[in-house]
Amino acid sequence: MAKRVAPHVGRPLLGLLFRTKMRSLRNRIHQTIDQGPLRVMATSALMLVVWLGLYLLFHLTFQQLRRTPLQATVAIPLVFNFFFVVMLMLLTFSNAIIAYGSLFGKDESAYLLSSPVPPKDFVTLKYFESLLLASWSLILLGIPLMLAMADMAEDSVFYILFLAFFLAFIPIPGALGLFLAWAAARFFPRRIARTGAAACGLVIAFLLLWGLQSLRFGGAETEAWLRSFYSRMSIIEAALLPNNWVATGIDHALNGNFSEALLYLGVTAANALFLSWLAVMIVSRWFDVALNRAATGRGTGKRSAAPASGGAAGLIFAYLPLPLRLVAAKDLRTFLRDPMQWSQLLILFALLGLYLANMPSLRTQLGDSGGWSLVIPFLNLCTLSLILATFTCRFVFPLVSLEGQKLWVIGLLPARLSEILLAKFAFAMTVTLFGAVGAMIVAAIMLELDLVWTVIHLMVTISICVALCGCAVGIGARVPMFHEPKIARIANGFGGTINLLASLALVSLVLVAMGYATLRSRDLRIGDVPDILTLLVCLAAVAIGVGGGVFAMRIGAKHFDKIEV
Amino acid sequence: MNVLEDSAVTLLGITKCYGRTVAVDDLSLSVRSGELFAFLGPNGAGKTTTIKLITGLLRPDRGDIQVCGHHIGSNGVAAKAKLAYVPDQPFLYEKLTGREFLYFVAELYGIENRRRDEVLEGLIARLAIGDFLDHLTESYSHGMKQKVVLAAALLHDPTVLVIDEPMVGLDPRTIRAVKDLFVEHTQRGRTIFMSTHTLDIAEAVADRIGIIHHGKLIAIGTLSELRALARHEQSLEEIFLQLTEESDG
Repeated sequence: MAKRVAPHVGRPLLGLLFRTKMRSLRNRIHQTIDQGPLRVMATSALMLVVWLGLYLLFHLTFQQLRRTPLQATVAIPLVFNFFFVVMLMLLTFSNAIIAYGSLFGKDESAYLLSSPVPPKDFVTLKYFESLLLASWSLILLGIPLMLAMADMAEDSVFYILFLAFFLAFIPIPGALGLFLAWAAARFFPRRIARTGAAACGLVIAFLLLWGLQSLRFGGAETEAWLRSFYSRMSIIEAALLPNNWVATGIDHALNGNFSEALLYLGVTAANALFLSWLAVMIVSRWFDVALNRAATGRGTGKRSAAPASGGAAGLIFAYLPLPLRLVAAKDLRTFLRDPMQWSQLLILFALLGLYLANMPSLRTQLGDSGGWSLVIPFLNLCTLSLILATFTCRFVFPLVSLEGQKLWVIGLLPARLSEILLAKFAFAMTVTLFGAVGAMIVAAIMLELDLVWTVIHLMVTISICVALCGCAVGIGARVPMFHEPKIARIANGFGGTINLLASLALVSLVLVAMGYATLRSRDLRIGDVPDILTLLVCLAAVAIGVGGGVFAMRIGAKHFDKIEV
Repeated sequence: MNVLEDSAVTLLGITKCYGRTVAVDDLSLSVRSGELFAFLGPNGAGKTTTIKLITGLLRPDRGDIQVCGHHIGSNGVAAKAKLAYVPDQPFLYEKLTGREFLYFVAELYGIENRRRDEVLEGLIARLAIGDFLDHLTESYSHGMKQKVVLAAALLHDPTVLVIDEPMVGLDPRTIRAVKDLFVEHTQRGRTIFMSTHTLDIAEAVADRIGIIHHGKLIAIGTLSELRALARHEQSLEEIFLQLTEESDG
């Protein structure tokens, strides 16, 4: 055995921990490139397309604003403020969720905390980890925004400054998130799921109320509405909010006032460093208390068992034969017991609800023009499709792969393996239809849409649900990752990428057909019945969606039947 | 010598609750230096909770714990420097190779590179881990992971080795090698605190055995002392069943 070396008790081990993480990352990158160069290229290309798309969108927006210098002077700082305040909230929650999982929920924590790693080093490592994992969205969204903005800048120094502002800003939500994660474990360990759900609910309710108040249309008095809107938005320009330091600093940099910009950069960086130091100090000082509370303070998770028929969840799937009903009911119950899943869907639909609730009545805004009144339902369809695609790619696609470790259970059911896919499909359709059809009916009522077009839009909505659920379940069965227990990794894997591309392609076809039908009907007046060709195009859109979904299911079922359990 | 001075692990009146459930109830025991202590109990008896308390992953609601004379609560880092913990689910960084993980552990405990290589050579041979040590650990079976984790735990020659179910997933040859390593470890004056359901292993290598049931220590002693307590010349399995049933009664 090793000669007894005096353990350097309390020596800093942060460097070693970072080096180990970097080595782990290096191995991961090598492995990814070796195993799937095509996938890396496809992902990079897709990322580039997203970046370019965002850049063009922001570039056109700013160009439009520049045409009216007076409005640009007022609007651009507001855009920045709004962007960074949203980022502040999103990143704080994102950091809190990631930090909670990595501080209190992983085997790595138990391993490192039973070794002589000082708590401060452990907490610092986890702080940086959550910072990196949570902040990629800011980089994805922010860099195209800033590049588009840089086109308006008078000096190339702006490029360096905007990067510095980003780096200075990111630690602020990171520190707040770390502190929130620690506080959740320390003070609410028994109610962590309920607390998280309540926090999400409160934020959504606040956004809904505030958004409704801020965005409410004031009839034709657009100037009054704009004044009211700016007045309400001034709350996010409070001097003590970090988003204001960044937004003001970037605005100064944009206009060539570099000394002012550097002052705000200094304020942001100093506060970020102080908050980071404070959060790491507080969390590491009382980390053992929070860890103990997180490990022992949770509820037992005891729940009454559902009856053999599947209970209330089983009733929803009463049309399925018993073994499949149980599988679908199990998936629904798992979904409802996982706040990470339903809260994301809730947030997406709440945002959609906010949008729907603010739609002006077309009869008053657009007069008697029936054709134009179809454009907004068409845009609703596009928005809804994106929301549904997000859900099916993120949560429905991994369903089959997640059965990997338990395939022996469902493999022994008195049903063909491919029939199990029907249960997964039924579950996915139930969840998506519940939200999508509901949202479309609300939209149709608010827009006072004709009955014919209401029926058409509902049929297309259902066909989009079939397309997306069919793709997610079918491709999930064709390219499963049975050895991967993590939902995120399954969704981001090779099969997940194929599913994302296939879903987008299929939905795009449906939407192009519907776009054409909408275009053909632009001269219709309210109450007019569309011509036969338009109706045929709509039917073709429905057929494309349903046909695509069924085709994907068939491919998945054919492969799934051959899988050895 | 004073009992406490000779004690590597000391638990004094430890109580730990999960909500309303009492997992460990007023537990006191002392494990001496150079002793292999086997901690037995039915599922949910409080074995893993006790181990997590000893390693500082949990804090007792009442009582005091010392490892090598250091209070685990107030002087945790010093206590942990003398400790190695092998959990029931072996942890390895999945994107590191086994060798990279072992180098990480060596550096964590401040072992010089030359010394590390010497020790590793012996452990690689005895645990037969050389064939896969340069592969990413994500490709390992449970048994392979367990072997690497055991090597990592023994690498820094810990004064106290706390181990939860050490033999799960190991093949018979490795079980034999691990038993020999444990005996050699204690012969050098080191202490092993082992929780297990494999009673024949406890019977073969343990110096003393403690049986916990419903969070209470219901019996402690050498195998012969336990036989006397059970009033029969029986195997450890029969003694265990009898004592836990009596405790239920």
